[in-house]
Amino acid sequence: MKELYTMRFTALRLMRAWIVLLILFGVPLVLVTIFSIILGDVEEAGTMLRDEINVMMVLAFQLFGGSVVMNYINDDFFTKRRYRIQLLPLNTSVYGFTIMLVGTLYSIILGAILASYTALLWDVDWGNIAWSIFIIALMATLSSIVCLIFTFSVKKFNIAERLSEVYGIGAILLAGLIFPMPDHAVINWVNDYLNPITLSYDAIDAYRNTNLGDAWMNAGLLGGLIVITFITMLLIGRRRMP
Amino acid sequence: MTIFTFALKRIFKDKTNLIFLTMFPVAAIFLPEPDDWPLLPYGYHYFGVLILFVGIRLTGILVEDRQKGVVKRLAAAPVTHFQYLWQNLLAFAVILTAQCMFMIAGGVIYGHELYESWLLLMLFIVFSFTAIAISLAWNSLYRNKETSFLVFMCVIIIMAMLGGIMMPIEMLPDILEQIAVIFPTYWLAEGLDWIVMGEDIADFLLINGVLLLYTLLFLIIGSIRRID
Repeated sequence: MKELYTMRFTALRLMRAWIVLLILFGVPLVLVTIFSIILGDVEEAGTMLRDEINVMMVLAFQLFGGSVVMNYINDDFFTKRRYRIQLLPLNTSVYGFTIMLVGTLYSIILGAILASYTALLWDVDWGNIAWSIFIIALMATLSSIVCLIFTFSVKKFNIAERLSEVYGIGAILLAGLIFPMPDHAVINWVNDYLNPITLSYDAIDAYRNTNLGDAWMNAGLLGGLIVITFITMLLIGRRRMP
Repeated sequence: MTIFTFALKRIFKDKTNLIFLTMFPVAAIFLPEPDDWPLLPYGYHYFGVLILFVGIRLTGILVEDRQKGVVKRLAAAPVTHFQYLWQNLLAFAVILTAQCMFMIAGGVIYGHELYESWLLLMLFIVFSFTAIAISLAWNSLYRNKETSFLVFMCVIIIMAMLGGIMMPIEMLPDILEQIAVIFPTYWLAEGLDWIVMGEDIADFLLINGVLLLYTLLFLIIGSIRRID
């Protein structure tokens, strides 16, 4: 299994990319710290604002985790190293999957560290931390798959990058994190069934309130989205992968 | 004015720039009016952040010039560094000023309550100059356009949070509230508050004066020629 051996080098490449670390880890770390200091013990309608905003913030940064996978797939398969990779005696599709796996794992680890940091230092209530990390893992997987769909479906990588930003920022906007969204049937429907950030927040929140049925339903919806997008990615990717 | 014209052409050739310069402000105009905070419509409050983003994108062509060795070639050409710099900066300033005018005119036509719209326009234009100067100084630290942009993006988010654009400054703990004074975004937020509630024009002039002082400072830092 030569492909598995390459995972070590993908991980090394990831560790050296300090800008990725700064954006996906440094910024959310500063933001959750500031929010925790500011919000303190403010309560609104029975829930601690600190719990709500910090959980949302950690989840929101998971939306951008897919950009790592997207960049590496583009570098290795479509631009810089394309012909060298094709010459190698290994199964390129499996190699592509290992990149996706390592990138997603990286994103999950960063998310888990952030979640534990807020839970331990700032006393944020994540409900069950294992369940929360499971939800973070689902989000990271979904984000990687969505970003890969963008990479495979457009010719210019620039456009794929912009689309991934639209996906991330769009989900945050729709969830009403920056300013309140109007109470419109379509927006509510998207937030209830499609928007990954509201789905995962509801899953974590339901588990926190020991409402297991709701928690599993939201996690199931996320899982369903992953299955659908994964099949789409396979169908589109088969045409583009060398 | 050749460099000026070319700077304009280069900026408008990039399609992403067009989105930044047209679609985002249009979207910002149509954002709703908040209930309690901020005092101005959301779009006009977040416009300061947008100006910073546009500023770093526009000045990106200067890093590109250094990256590709254009600055070296310019040093050999009969063009002074001063000419190269001010014509580029003029192009950025003209574009951002136009964007600010578009934003204010859009709000007035749409029917937002903007209080002193002329003074608001002035504040945004002065802040645009500050944004250009900051991004000029910031870019002089980097050799790569992408790196410079991505790291500045993080800085913008933190500056907006601590400067009182994303949330009321009174919510911050005392120490952070005192530190916030060093951010240009703090002065923008103060200016926006003045537009709605202010009475004494001297305060408004002070706010603009501080922003212009920042502009001068960062211009001096950013205008040092680096050939590498």
